[in-house]
Amino acid sequence: MCVPFKFVKTTVGFFIQGVFLLWTTFAHAVNLMGSELQLHGFLTQGVVITSDNNFLGQSNKKASTDFREIGVNASLRPTSDLQLSAGLLSHKAGGTDNGNVRLDYGLADWTISSSEQGRSGIRLGRVKNSYGLYNKTRDVAFTRPSILLPQSIYFERSRNLTLAGDGAEFYLDRNYEAGNLFVTFALGKPQIGSEASKVALVGLLPNGRFEPKIAQISQAMYEGDGGKYRLGYTVLRFDTHYSPGVRDVLQAGQLKSMVQIFSSQYNAENWSLTSEYALRPISIKNFGPNAPDSTTHGQSYYIQGSYRLAPKWEALLRYDVMYIDSEDRDGKVFAAATRRPGFTRFSKDWTTGVRFDLTPEFMLRAEYHRVDGTAYLPVQDNPDPRALERRWDMFMLLGSFRF
Amino acid sequence: MLAVFLITANSYADTQEPTMVAIAFPSTSENVISRSTLRAVFGMRLNKWPADTPIKVFVMKDDAPEHGAFSKNILQVFPHQLRLAWDRQVFSGQGQYPEQVTSTQEMLSRIASTPGAIGYIKINEVTNNVRTLQIR
Repeated sequence: MCVPFKFVKTTVGFFIQGVFLLWTTFAHAVNLMGSELQLHGFLTQGVVITSDNNFLGQSNKKASTDFREIGVNASLRPTSDLQLSAGLLSHKAGGTDNGNVRLDYGLADWTISSSEQGRSGIRLGRVKNSYGLYNKTRDVAFTRPSILLPQSIYFERSRNLTLAGDGAEFYLDRNYEAGNLFVTFALGKPQIGSEASKVALVGLLPNGRFEPKIAQISQAMYEGDGGKYRLGYTVLRFDTHYSPGVRDVLQAGQLKSMVQIFSSQYNAENWSLTSEYALRPISIKNFGPNAPDSTTHGQSYYIQGSYRLAPKWEALLRYDVMYIDSEDRDGKVFAAATRRPGFTRFSKDWTTGVRFDLTPEFMLRAEYHRVDGTAYLPVQDNPDPRALERRWDMFMLLGSFRF
Repeated sequence: MLAVFLITANSYADTQEPTMVAIAFPSTSENVISRSTLRAVFGMRLNKWPADTPIKVFVMKDDAPEHGAFSKNILQVFPHQLRLAWDRQVFSGQGQYPEQVTSTQEMLSRIASTPGAIGYIKINEVTNNVRTLQIR
């Protein structure tokens, strides 16, 4: 009894020492030709166990560790008006992402004008989308409110649609005595040419791919009273063409969407209340007889409270709801037309969680989800719709280190 | 009754939290700064002084009493929100972290020797080597 405990203690001790050594030797800032180069990164490992269904790997009644996020980034500021930054990310997420290293962002941020009243400028390159409150750093566990972001808005399933764009983002910040206004407008190509994006949009059977076209994304965010409250509005417009594969069940169709998100947050010293509401209509056209022209009215919202129990402890409670079609909330019409379960068309997720910051660099989290419906589950992890269970539970653990 | 409570709350704050002041490199062009500008500077969203000198921000550790008092009472931003704002910028390539110092002595010597530097200190520890910034 005593020996294994000692072993664990020694191993953990060595690990923490090693991590500390790594952190101090890596250092955060290096002077490079008179300007500061900052290097940062993180390593996150999650464990997922579900009562039924699979999420982030083969989690059904067993522990899946196929949830891992590793990132490194560098930034350099050669002048006070220019910052060059790049971040690499490996994101392992069950059957939807194999963890290959990708350029998460790589950009030149040029401040065109700056004064006490605010600043304006342009970011060129691969820029993370200003989409809701959390998208810009959605894969950095320390900046998320929970292990899993509310899936009604920050889909794991179709993350590439909203993740980042290759193009330009214009920004305008205004500083007022009462608060700050942040406005962005971006034009960029999403990374949706992948198999995972195709599956998220049209399923496993069609064998073609989507051609990325320029998407437009605009956001206005107001932060009042030093960030005590935040109010935001985001609009994303995208339009993409499908190139059918050989003997494809689908024809060369077109998919269009306009997502609107209304965001609000109140931050007190020890608690925060956050809610976002999204409208996600999707229209499809010319995909042929197997997918008649249609429009589905997606609708999402969540309400989330977090409480800082003590300086290192935080508790979370959230209710997160998504309907794939708000005109067929329970999926009855869908079930009658397709003979697939209606509960695949919604998900209602009660989440409770706890966060413990062991040190500023090392964080542990645990989370429990009680879910009705399977709308946010990726089809790659659940290829057989007949094997899905409507009501399921999920337990998650996460450890994250950063430097 | 309310007045008594307010006075008690006030004196509690006085005895518990150090009174802080913003300080800058001695030949900085500014003497007076607005709270909104100071928030933008410590939020790492304003990178140069009106005279075009790059701004260099120095802070203490997140859990240092000086950092807490400066954030809450002068900037009127909670320290954990400041941290989150920095994290969001750094991990999306839109900004850099301020430089962290470990002691009052280091804060004073770095501010005194770095052109464009800004930081904070307890009001009773101010020396002649730094400029005190008044809040407009």
